[in-house]
Amino acid sequence: MREYFLRRLLQSVLVLFLVSLVTFALIHSAPGGPVRIYLTPGLSQEAAKVQAHNLGLDQPIPIQYVRWLGDLLQGNFGYTFKNHIPVGKILWPTVGNTLILMGVAWFLSLVIAIPWGIYNSTREYGLSDQSAAVISYLGFAMPTFWFGILLQELFSLKLNWLPLSDMYTMGQARNILNLLPHLVLPVTVLTLGFLAAYVKYSRSSMLEVLFQDYIRTARAKGMPERRVVFRHALRNALIPIITVLGLDLPILVGGAALTESVFNWPGMGRLFVEMAMAREYSVLMAITLLTAVIVILGNLLADILYAVVDPRVQLAGRGGRAA
Amino acid sequence: MSGIPIGESPLSGNSLPGGNPGPEPAPRVMSLGGMAWRRFLRNPFAVAGLVVLLFFVIVALFARFIAPFDPARIDLLTSNLPFGSGAHILGTDELGRDIFSRLLYSSQVSLLVGFSVAFVSVFIGTLIGAVSGYFGGFVDTFFMRMVDVLNSVPLLFLNILMLAIFGSSFVLLICILALTSWMGVARLVRGTFLQLRETEYVEAAKALGTSDWRIITYHMIRNATAPIIVNATLMIGGAILSEAALSFLGLGIQPPQTSWGQMLSNAQAYMLTDPLQAVYPGLCILVVVLAVNFIGDGIQSAIDPRRKVRRPRRRWGH
Amino acid sequence: MSVSLLEIKDLTVGFPAEQGILKAVDRVSLKMEEGKTFCLVGESGSGKSVTSLSIMRLIDYDGGDILSGEIFFHGEDLVQKSQEEMIKLRGYKLAMIFQEPMSALNPVFTVGDQIAEAVMLHQKKGKKEAWQDAIEMLRLVGIPAPEVRARQYPHELSGGMCQRVVIAMALVCKPEVLIADEPTTALDVTVQAQILDLLRQLKAELNMAILLITHDMGVAAEVADQIAVMYAGVIVEEGTVEQVFSHPCHPYTLGLLKSIPGYESERGKDLYAIPGNIPSLAQLPQGCRFHPRCVPAREKCRLEEPVPHDLGSGHVVKCWLSEGAERAEKRSPDLPADMNQGEVNGGKEVRTL
Repeated sequence: MREYFLRRLLQSVLVLFLVSLVTFALIHSAPGGPVRIYLTPGLSQEAAKVQAHNLGLDQPIPIQYVRWLGDLLQGNFGYTFKNHIPVGKILWPTVGNTLILMGVAWFLSLVIAIPWGIYNSTREYGLSDQSAAVISYLGFAMPTFWFGILLQELFSLKLNWLPLSDMYTMGQARNILNLLPHLVLPVTVLTLGFLAAYVKYSRSSMLEVLFQDYIRTARAKGMPERRVVFRHALRNALIPIITVLGLDLPILVGGAALTESVFNWPGMGRLFVEMAMAREYSVLMAITLLTAVIVILGNLLADILYAVVDPRVQLAGRGGRAA
Repeated sequence: MSGIPIGESPLSGNSLPGGNPGPEPAPRVMSLGGMAWRRFLRNPFAVAGLVVLLFFVIVALFARFIAPFDPARIDLLTSNLPFGSGAHILGTDELGRDIFSRLLYSSQVSLLVGFSVAFVSVFIGTLIGAVSGYFGGFVDTFFMRMVDVLNSVPLLFLNILMLAIFGSSFVLLICILALTSWMGVARLVRGTFLQLRETEYVEAAKALGTSDWRIITYHMIRNATAPIIVNATLMIGGAILSEAALSFLGLGIQPPQTSWGQMLSNAQAYMLTDPLQAVYPGLCILVVVLAVNFIGDGIQSAIDPRRKVRRPRRRWGH
Repeated sequence: MSVSLLEIKDLTVGFPAEQGILKAVDRVSLKMEEGKTFCLVGESGSGKSVTSLSIMRLIDYDGGDILSGEIFFHGEDLVQKSQEEMIKLRGYKLAMIFQEPMSALNPVFTVGDQIAEAVMLHQKKGKKEAWQDAIEMLRLVGIPAPEVRARQYPHELSGGMCQRVVIAMALVCKPEVLIADEPTTALDVTVQAQILDLLRQLKAELNMAILLITHDMGVAAEVADQIAVMYAGVIVEEGTVEQVFSHPCHPYTLGLLKSIPGYESERGKDLYAIPGNIPSLAQLPQGCRFHPRCVPAREKCRLEEPVPHDLGSGHVVKCWLSEGAERAEKRSPDLPADMNQGEVNGGKEVRTL
């Protein structure tokens, strides 16, 4: 068991290292490159040369990479080009805002999707199943930012029920009462997107399990259907669902960008888009790495959950030690 | 032992008819593809999808002849015309450009991006998957770590980052989208190859001295063709959505070229004055992607009627 | 005549399909006596599993419908019962074990949990008590160190061990009827013999009736008291083990017997195989369902479905050729030559390979 996690942890560190390498390489291939990130703007050519030397930017690329990595590990993400603000200062507040938005939407979609998918798996092609299929098709084919715009036009502009955009109404106390109405529309948009996928996953995962031999054994034992579904089937069906949730994390983390842009939500995704337009590479690099860390941590968490649910994983760990 | 052993009776043998006495119609010989095609045609959703997609393809091809106006023509005198304004059927935008004509021309961009990204990424994915699965070892490890890296960064971020660094051009957009969407196909092909590598006919081909390249292209890829086609079809929809999203954010298609995503970002700015402007482009995207997905599902169930559709993971349409 | 523990009368089970409703089981009747083993023999696709699943009323979950007929258990018709009522019987009075022991166990629960679950549910015992029962049962089915094994997961056990667990799970509530659907097919030959021995021993200890489903005449000969041979959804021959093995009257039974290695003592001869395949339910032949594969079939066999024909003392056969079969037992010369072969050996001796 321990071996299993150690191995996964090592793999994660390796992937993270590779992500940093790729990001670094990308930035270095950009016009202007790292010089733009670290040098004080507006310097004369001579002074810039001196500063570049002092910062080590005239050193060979591998050495620069090692130093950059060292800085990162100490929490130094560099400075913005325009006003020379430390990247951390503008990045950290947006992380929380994104987590609020995504957390609520994700939680909501799981709470709706998993029971709904289970219900549909026991009543294939019923009315509920059909409507879930329609939602899935729409969710997969609809540009969600378009859905967001339509919601804005209907509920904010026409009906005037909900705020058009932003996280808080300006000039009012920043409390939960202020936040909630702002959450409704973006959360609706995101939830529909997640729901489309998760209802499908949980339904098909349950369906696969419900036709297994051990389900028939459970019924032959005289288990009531409710117990068959919720005890014997669900636990097995959760295994692939957990995997998929882990794999979907990048979508979750990055997916907010569009919704945040539509609703002007001060999150990480919108920051990324804005900084991309302004070619603020240091911020882009920081966000890319940060999201990779979040995704990889999430995947580790999924692995732990996986092992908790599926006893066979422990054996795989033991097998790894024996080998 | 006396008597005729039953098994040797001239009446028996394995050539017995299935049971029906009398002449049986000879089973019509039909190729696998032909059977799948027939099953596809029996699926109303798939056929509808095909019809809609063909419609859009025709529109895109003949946009020049159908469009009443030059989509890039700016005429400030006729700006912000509402729906149903004479020759401007769907009205005009804030610069006086004809919305209907812009919609028509945008279909060119969407379809071109959709098809070429699907094509290129299937090509890349098949190549990488085949090489990984066939040779294994270091090559496999290398490419699979690459897949891990691409799967641990939000692809939307990666696309934006690359567009920000290298600038936005139509060809670049296609390349960038293709470079970040081949992983599904690669995994799929690799999986098939890992299975096939051990099979007898590949062993036999190797023993006969067939070259690696020929084994890969001739013997193995053919076995993975069906799932690749399904995957490619569904990828068209994903690429169309991606292009729309990037253009909506202002990083994709740049004016004077026009695309549905770009039109939407424009429409959002003029939501108050003309809310209908936002409806058309989005509806077009929805319908096209829906059509492509129906076709993909249709192909899937036509090829393998028993198995349920396994959709490739969604890119990041949120 | 004693009252039967379980009696099936004219059971017909259908599956909806494109071609209409396919009858996987067609007017099957059988009787099981207390403490006896009843063997249902036939090739795969003959409807024997469907029959057994119908008794448990599990067929509902596999998409099948009981179209007509009755299944009496202690005089009550199981066909008329709701699933809620069946739940109280399943795993308690009626138990069932399946072909694949590995996949029949839920991979995410310990085997002890899976056995104790039934005890807690049916006998309303507490968790501790149920766990004790589970361990006792594991001991009874011959699992060494049951306290340790009970805490293990199915993937940690071997196939034979898993089948013992499955049997323990089925028997833990001391059922009156055990339905065993090919319980040994997935196992090694040596393990097969052990499991059959175990079933025989447990049958005596718990005084239960066993309905054993198998395609293997050898297995049937070893454990059965009563045998019914099924073909394409109908029972073609039924009788005591002596009747069926000593005087097989249906050409199909005969074919099955002859395909046992060593049934005919001619060494070096090819092993016998019945020609052709079992017909698909969608294309059942007219007349006798077996006639396309039956060598001595006559014109009548092609046209009319045979009616059950009692040869005396419960030996029933469904074959037009058996019209003269009473005399066949006296080696009647007008019987087709092939039919005579059926009399060569008694079944039981045959098994001593």
